[in-house]
Amino acid sequence: MSHETWQEQIRRGTLDLAILLSVASGPRYGLAIIQHLEAFTDLVVAEGTIYPILARLTREGLLASTWVEGEAPHPRKYYALTRAGTKRLAEMTAAWREFVKKIDRLMAASEKGRP
Amino acid sequence: MNLSEVGDARVNGYLFVLQRSLKTFLPAESVRDAVREIESHVRERIAAAEATPNERDAIERILAELGPPLRVAQAYSAERTIDEAVTTGRFVAIVRAVWHLAVTTVVGFFAALGLFVGYVVSFATLLMAALKPIFPHNVGIQFVNGVPIGPAAEFPVPAAGVDLRGGYWVIPLFAVAGLAGLVLMQWCARRYLAWWRNRI
Repeated sequence: MSHETWQEQIRRGTLDLAILLSVASGPRYGLAIIQHLEAFTDLVVAEGTIYPILARLTREGLLASTWVEGEAPHPRKYYALTRAGTKRLAEMTAAWREFVKKIDRLMAASEKGRP
Repeated sequence: MNLSEVGDARVNGYLFVLQRSLKTFLPAESVRDAVREIESHVRERIAAAEATPNERDAIERILAELGPPLRVAQAYSAERTIDEAVTTGRFVAIVRAVWHLAVTTVVGFFAALGLFVGYVVSFATLLMAALKPIFPHNVGIQFVNGVPIGPAAEFPVPAAGVDLRGGYWVIPLFAVAGLAGLVLMQWCARRYLAWWRNRI
């Protein structure tokens, strides 16, 4: 596996968590989620690929979506965490922290073992 | 930035291509919703953008950041049909995803062709196991000029130089080979779809 493929797999694997985190503090519409992700990460490669993920997370019942008209010249579709989404986010966050801790431990052990 | 007629036509063209691509696999209501959301994104980006160095470049930059309409449609396809096929492994979901890729991409077409041939051969082998008890003299292992070719069913009678051999013992052989072929094709189809999902 090339370095790029590995990075791509990490990116894909963490996008769901990143999107759920983006709406954890309150409802956001698509473009605002993208801008939030761009401000903190480099997970967004093509903006258009975020919308299908939002649609899937909505289908899975983790997000709820509502069209809001009137606050901007164009209607905005807002996404908010559902109860199931909040629960899943808590599970994903805990799993991610545990995963990072283990990899950090592994890296530390590997560095100690170096001549 | 306010759009000129030309700029507006470019945006509408992008949305038209996206809509046509999405229509091939999404229900009409989902297509309307997706296109409306993407249009909202594009219009909002344009409203916030400055027409530098000119309107055309600004629009092209915004659309490039969004991704080509076919790629956006493929991402929807990956999230909907391909994801369902890979995660559930259901035959109908796999067929739907493979078919969608076959009619939208060249690689997908050839992959579907290969899978189709594999499924047909496997199913035909399984069918021959079922036909053997009914037509014991017409089903067996085909030999042409003494060389074994493979499972075959000949109706009404084998041609000259062609010989069908094998007793009832070919039934479990064909059944196992057919089932193994179907399982292998199912595995290949899931691997292929998983590969496709990762590359989008």
